[in-house]
Amino acid sequence: MAPESASKKRKAVTRDSPESEEVALSDGGDDFEVALLNGIQVQSGDDMDGDSSDSLEDEKDSGEELDSDEVPPDGEDDVRDLVKENGFLREPTPEEELNGEGPAANYRIAKDANGNLRYVYNEIDPVYDSDDSDAPATTNTIGNIPLSFYDSYPHIGYDINGKKISRPAKGEALDALLDSIEIPKGWTGLTDPATGKPLELNQQELEVLKRIQMNEVPEEGYDPYPDMVEYFTSKTETMPLSAAPEPKRRFVPSKHETKRVMKIVRAIREGRISPYRLPPEEEEDDLDVKRYDIWANEAPRPDNPMNIPAPKLPPPGYEESYHPPQEYLPDKNEKKAWEEADEEDRNKEFLPTNHDSLRKVPCYARFIKEKFERCLDLYLAPRVRRSKLNIDPESLLPKLPSPEELRPFPTMCATKFLGHEGRVRSLAVAPSGHWLASGGDDGTVRVGELTTGHQVWSVQLEKGEAVNVVRWRPGTEAKVLAAATGEDVYLISPQIADLNKEVATKSREIIDAGWGYAANGAKSNTKKEPATQWVRPGSRLEGDGVLVKFSLRKTVKIISWHRRGEYFATVSPQGQTNAVAIHTLSKHLTQLPFRKLKGLAQSAQFHPSKPIFFVATQRMIRSYDLSKQELLKIIQPGARWISSFDVHPGGDNLIVGSYDKRLLWHDLELSVRPYKTLRYHKKAIRAVKFHQGGLPLFADASDDGSLQIFHGKVVEDMMENASIVPLKVLRGHQVKKELGVLDLDWHPREPWCVSAGADGTCRLWT
Amino acid sequence: MGKIKKKGTSGQAKNFITRTQAVRKLQISLPDFRRLCIFKGIYPREPRNKKKASKSSTHLTTFYYTKDIQYLLHEPLLAKFRDHKALAKKIARSLGRGEIGDAARLEKKGAPKLSLDHIIKERYPTFVDALRDLDDALSLLFLFANLPSTSTVPPKTTALCQRLCLEFEHYLITTNSLRKSFLSIKGIYYQATVQGQDILWLVPYKFVQRVTGDVDFRIMGTFVEFYTTLLGFVNFRLYTSIGLVYPPRFNAKSDEQGGELGAIILEGRGIEEPKQIEAQANRHVNGDVDGEIEARGANEEVQKQIAAIEKLPDADFDIQDGNALGAEEAINDAIDTFETTGDDADILPQPQTRENEAGSLFAPFIFFLSRETPRQPLEFILRSFGCKRIGWDEVLGDGAFTNNESDPTITHQVVDRPPLSSLPEVSNIDSDVPAKQVVRPGHRMPGRTYVQPQWVWDCINEVKLLRPDLYAPGATLPPHLSPWVKPTKGAYDPTAPLAEQEREGEAEEAEGLDDEEEEESEVNAEVAVPASKAKPPTDTEMIDDHGMNVAGSESDSDSAQSATSATSSFAGFDDPAASESETETALTQHQRELEAEAAGLTFSESAQTTKANGTPVKGILKESKGDEARKKAARKRREEEEELERRKMMMGRKKRKLVDKMLYSNKAKDEEAEKLRGKRRRIEAGKT
Repeated sequence: MAPESASKKRKAVTRDSPESEEVALSDGGDDFEVALLNGIQVQSGDDMDGDSSDSLEDEKDSGEELDSDEVPPDGEDDVRDLVKENGFLREPTPEEELNGEGPAANYRIAKDANGNLRYVYNEIDPVYDSDDSDAPATTNTIGNIPLSFYDSYPHIGYDINGKKISRPAKGEALDALLDSIEIPKGWTGLTDPATGKPLELNQQELEVLKRIQMNEVPEEGYDPYPDMVEYFTSKTETMPLSAAPEPKRRFVPSKHETKRVMKIVRAIREGRISPYRLPPEEEEDDLDVKRYDIWANEAPRPDNPMNIPAPKLPPPGYEESYHPPQEYLPDKNEKKAWEEADEEDRNKEFLPTNHDSLRKVPCYARFIKEKFERCLDLYLAPRVRRSKLNIDPESLLPKLPSPEELRPFPTMCATKFLGHEGRVRSLAVAPSGHWLASGGDDGTVRVGELTTGHQVWSVQLEKGEAVNVVRWRPGTEAKVLAAATGEDVYLISPQIADLNKEVATKSREIIDAGWGYAANGAKSNTKKEPATQWVRPGSRLEGDGVLVKFSLRKTVKIISWHRRGEYFATVSPQGQTNAVAIHTLSKHLTQLPFRKLKGLAQSAQFHPSKPIFFVATQRMIRSYDLSKQELLKIIQPGARWISSFDVHPGGDNLIVGSYDKRLLWHDLELSVRPYKTLRYHKKAIRAVKFHQGGLPLFADASDDGSLQIFHGKVVEDMMENASIVPLKVLRGHQVKKELGVLDLDWHPREPWCVSAGADGTCRLWT
Repeated sequence: MGKIKKKGTSGQAKNFITRTQAVRKLQISLPDFRRLCIFKGIYPREPRNKKKASKSSTHLTTFYYTKDIQYLLHEPLLAKFRDHKALAKKIARSLGRGEIGDAARLEKKGAPKLSLDHIIKERYPTFVDALRDLDDALSLLFLFANLPSTSTVPPKTTALCQRLCLEFEHYLITTNSLRKSFLSIKGIYYQATVQGQDILWLVPYKFVQRVTGDVDFRIMGTFVEFYTTLLGFVNFRLYTSIGLVYPPRFNAKSDEQGGELGAIILEGRGIEEPKQIEAQANRHVNGDVDGEIEARGANEEVQKQIAAIEKLPDADFDIQDGNALGAEEAINDAIDTFETTGDDADILPQPQTRENEAGSLFAPFIFFLSRETPRQPLEFILRSFGCKRIGWDEVLGDGAFTNNESDPTITHQVVDRPPLSSLPEVSNIDSDVPAKQVVRPGHRMPGRTYVQPQWVWDCINEVKLLRPDLYAPGATLPPHLSPWVKPTKGAYDPTAPLAEQEREGEAEEAEGLDDEEEEESEVNAEVAVPASKAKPPTDTEMIDDHGMNVAGSESDSDSAQSATSATSSFAGFDDPAASESETETALTQHQRELEAEAAGLTFSESAQTTKANGTPVKGILKESKGDEARKKAARKRREEEEELERRKMMMGRKKRKLVDKMLYSNKAKDEEAEKLRGKRRRIEAGKT
C-alpha cells in the first residue's frame, strides 16, 4: 500500500495547478462526492449532451474504481492526503465551499456575441491515473512511417483530433522532476502536539528509528558479542597463590568412608551380600549323559488306533550273506539285467556277491544312503495299515467232498436211441427203469428198452402234430403213459411184448376206471359244464393201446403226475385262465383250479410229499396249498423267463432253469431268492431234473448241446446249507437250428441220465 | 428338515491338513517343522480320498492329521525354536555391526539348549516301548560312531555316539543278551534280546564310508540327536537295572590307544568286573604298568570288597554272575517241565531256556585275534558269549588280554589269511619265556585251534561249537546263512537236501532238460573246439565248455582258467535255449528230421523235445525218459488245474479274485524257489 500511495502522491504532485481538488477528492474514491457533483450538474439545468455523456463516463469510472482491486485507502492515507493538500495544493476557501461553487473553477463565464452569458467550460482533463481501459486510447495518426522521423521534434505524432502527441516522459525527466522537489531532512508531515509546529526529527532520533527498524538494540554502541574475560584461567599457575602447607586431613583416611566400607564388609561377612563371581563353566556333556531314570514311574498308555508304529526293517535273507550259497548268486544274465536296470526299478538294492573270506569284503557303498533313506521313510512316508493276506488260498476255496464221495454220476454215453424223425421233444423213463418213452416232431410216441436202445413199441398219434410231452404215471404196478400232441392229451397203455399180462391188464383197468364215474358224475354236476370230455380216441389208436383222449383249448406243453398217480396236471402256456388243468384219472375229470393266473404259466409240479402245487409263470413260481386252497409262497428266482423247474425229492429245494442261461437253486426254507445262481451254459436251459431215486444228483439240458451234471447234497441239518458241486459236462448231442438238448430224465434208481436232442436221438448217459 | 450341511466343514476336509498349512499354523520355518516332526514322531498320512481332503491337492501334496498338528502347537520346543530364531537375528545384527565379541558371547551364552527328555517320555511311555523302537536308533548311532568328523558331523556327536554304543554293548556283554549275528555284504547284523524284546541292528564294516551328495546330514543329525537322547536313557535304565553305575567310567587314555570296549570301565555292586582278568593279564604280560591301570586295579579291589560285604546280607541282590549263589538261584528259577499223563490231553508248549548256554559258549577258551581280523565285532561277540580272555595283536589296539601270539594259554586263534604252503610248525617255543612277536605270519602254534572268523558267527547262531576243521585257514568255507530265515513251506531252504524240497517229478523233468542241454553243449563244444572231444570230458569241463559257448569268444585255455572259479562257469548256465538258434543250421535240422523219422516219431513231436545231437538213438532214448516224466507231470498239473477251476467255479466273484491274487503271489514265490532249486541241482550235478 505504501508504494502505491507514494505513486499517488507523486502523481498528485505532477498535476497542474488548475486541477481541482475534487479530482483529488475523487482520487480518494468517494462516490458520494461524484454523485453530488453530478447532481449539481443536473441541477444546473443545462443539458450538455457531450458533457452529460462525460459525466456518465465519470460515473462509470467511479464504478470501475470501486470494482477494481484497489482497496479504499484507510484513515492514515486520508490523513496523508490531507497533509499533501495542506502542503502543496491550494486550500479551498471556506467561501467557495459554502456556496457550493466548487465547480465554478470548471468554467468561466463569458459573453457571447449576443451578449448573453456563456459558460465556457474548461477542457476536462481525463483522470490519467484511473485504470480506465475504455478511455479512448490516443492513437497516433502518422501512419506507416518509422517513428524515427520525429526524433528531432518534441512530439511523436498527432492524434485523431489533430493535436500533437507529446513524447512520453522518460525516466530521466521524472528523476529530474523529483530531484527538483526537496523534502527537508527530518520531515515527518506530523504536527508536534506540544508546539503545534510540524514535527521534525533530528539525526539522532532518526538513527534510533533506523536501529529499531533493523531489529537492533536501540541503544547506541551496544556490543552483543563482547570478548570473554577469563576470570579463572585453565592454566595452572607456576606459583601457588597460597604458600600454606598441605592440611592433615588430606592424609587421614575418611571416617565416613570407613564406615560405609565396614558396613559392606559386615554385610559380606554375614552373607547378606555375595561378591560377584564369574558363573562357572557348565560341563558340556552334562545334558548328554543321562543321570535319571525317565521311566521311573512308567504307566503304559493304551495304543491309539490312529498311531501306526514304523515298520521294522526285515531281517536279512540268505542272499545278503557275504558268503551265500552258490545258488543265490546271480548268473550273467541276471547280473546284466540288474546293472542295466534303473536304481528305482531294481527289486533288490544289492547284488548278491560271494567273498571267499571275511577280509575280502569291501565297504558297502550305499550304506549311508540306505540309512538316510530309512530316515526319510520314518518321517516323510505316509503310513498305511494294510492287512496282508497271509492265508493259505486253499482255506478260502470251498471245502469239497472228495471225488469218491461224489461218485457215481453219469460220465459217458452208453446208448443211443434212433428212430425219431426230427426233434425229440420229450422223453421219460418208466418208473421200473426198463423202458424209455419218447415223443417227437414226427408225431410218434416210441417206447424203447433203456439199456439196449431197442424200440419195442410205437404209435403215431396225429399226423403232422408234434408230440410235446410224454410222461409215465408213477408206480410200478401199472404202465400208463400220458402224452400230449397239440391240444390233445392221450392216456396210453403201451402194448409191450415183454410186459407181463398182469401189468397190462392193471394199466387198462386204471385208465378205464373212470368211465363209469364220468357218466354218473356228469349227471350230478349238470349245472356246471365240465372243462372237457374224456373220450375214446378211435379204433385205430385203441388197437395200439391208446385208451383215452381229451382235448384242451390250447397246446399242452407240460404234463406232470402226482406221486400217487391219481392226478396229473397239464399246462398249456397260451391257455390264459385255462392254462393249468388238473385231471383226476379215476374219475376222468378235468378241473381248472385257477380262475385267474398272473403271467404265462410255464410249468407245474406237485410237491413230492405234501399237498402243495407249484406253478411257474414267466418270472415267478407260486406254491399253493391244495387242501386249504390258498397261496403259500411266491418264489422269485430272478430269471427273465423260466423254462422249467424241478422239486427236490425232499421237497424243500427247487431248481429252476431259465431261458437266460441260468440255473438257480432255491432253498425254500432259506429265502424266496435263489441260494445259488449257476451260469455255466452258453445257451438257454431247457430242462432241469433232480434224480428221484436217492442219489444227490441233478442235471440240466441246454440249447448249447450239453448236459451238466451236478452234485447237490441236501443235508437234513438245518444249519448246513446244501452243497452243490459241478461234476460233469456231457457233450454229444448235435445242435440243430440252435436247439440242442430238449429234455432229460433220470433213471429212477441208477445214476443214469437220458436226454432228448434236437438231432433226433436220445442218449443214455451212464 | 435339518439344515443343509456346508461342504468342507467336517470329515476328511477337516481331519487333514497340508504341510504348508501346518507350517503356517505353527508359524515356524520348514526346516524347523521337519525337526519337530522328527522329534515328535509325526508322519504324514494318506487320506482315503485326496480330493475330499483338499480340493486343490496334487498327487504330491503331503497331508498331516489336523489333530497331530494341534498337538504340536503345545510343544515347548516351539518356544525354543523361536528363541533360537531371535538369537540368530541378534547374532546376525552384531556381526553386521562388526561386534564380534558380542556375537561370540551371544552364541555361547544365549543359545537355548534343546532338551528332548520330555519327548522321550511322551513317545515311549514305558521302557519296553523304547526297546521296541531301538532298531533304527542303534543302526544310525553305530553308523555315526564310525563316521569321520566333518563340518556336518561334529566330533562331539561322533564321540557321543561311540560312547553310547559302547555302553550298550557292555550291557549286552554283561547280561549275555546277544543272540544272533550275521555277516552280510552291508555290514554285520546283531540281534539281542533285552527284556523280551528282539532288537536287530546293523553295524557297518570299519571303512571310511562313502558320502554321496544327495544325503542331507541335517536330517540325519536331527535323528541322531533324538536317538542319542533315547539311547542315553535306555542305557541308564539298563545299567541301573543290573546294579551298575551309570555313566560308567571312561578311560580317555585307553580310548586314545584304541581301547574301544576296554575304554569303558563298569562299576557297580554285585557284578564281577569284566575287565579284571584282562587288567591282571596286562600287568603280567606287559610288565610296565601305567598308573591308570594300577588305579583301576585298586578300585577293583575296593569294589570287590564292597561287593563281598554286600553279598553277605542279602544274596538276592546279585542276579547275573556265575558264582555258586547265582547258580543256585538259576536252578530255582528254571521252569519245570510238565509231562502229560493222559493221551487225550493237550500239550502246552514251554519255552526253552538257552541263556546259560549262550553265556558260556566260549567261556572256557582263550582267544587270540590275528591282526587281519576285525577286532571290534569279534571282541564284542566273544565277550557276549562268555569268553573272558581275548588277546590280539598290538596293532589292533589297547585292552587285550595279551599281545603275545605265542602265549601257551591261548586255545583258539582267529585267522583270516591264506595259509602259506609247507610251513613247519613252530617248534622251539618255550612256554615259560614270554617271547613276544616271535611267531611269524603263517606259522602255527601246536595245541591251538585255528579258525576263520566265520566260525565264531556260525557257532553263536547255532549256539554250539561247530567243527573247527571246516573253518580252518585256507579251507573253503561253508556258506554263511542268515539265522533269521525260517524255513517255510514251499520256499527254498539251502540247508535241507534238495530231494526233500522238490516237487514230485521235478528232478526227472529237469534231468531231461539238462540232458538235452548237455548234449547240446557237447555238440557246441564239438563245433567250437574239435580237439576237446578227444579226451573223455568230465562234467565240469562240459559245463565250462558250455559257458564258453555262451560267451562266444573264450578260448580253450580260458575255459581251463574258468574252471577254477565256479561262479563264472555257472553264470551262463541258463543260456542254451537262447544260443541254440545260433548254432543250429539248416543242415542239422534236416539231419534231425531224418533221425526222428527213423526213430518213429513225427518231427513236430521231436522238435519240441530233442535238440541236435550226434547220437540220435541215445538221445531219443534219454529224451523219451525225460519226456515221459514231463508228460506225466504235465498231465498231473492239468488235472490239478481242472480241479482248481472246478472249485473256483463255486465261489463268488469277489472271493475268486482274492484267491487268484493269492495264488499269483504264491506262484511267484514258488517260481523263485524253483529257480533256486534248479540252480542248486545244476551245481550239484556239476560237482559229482
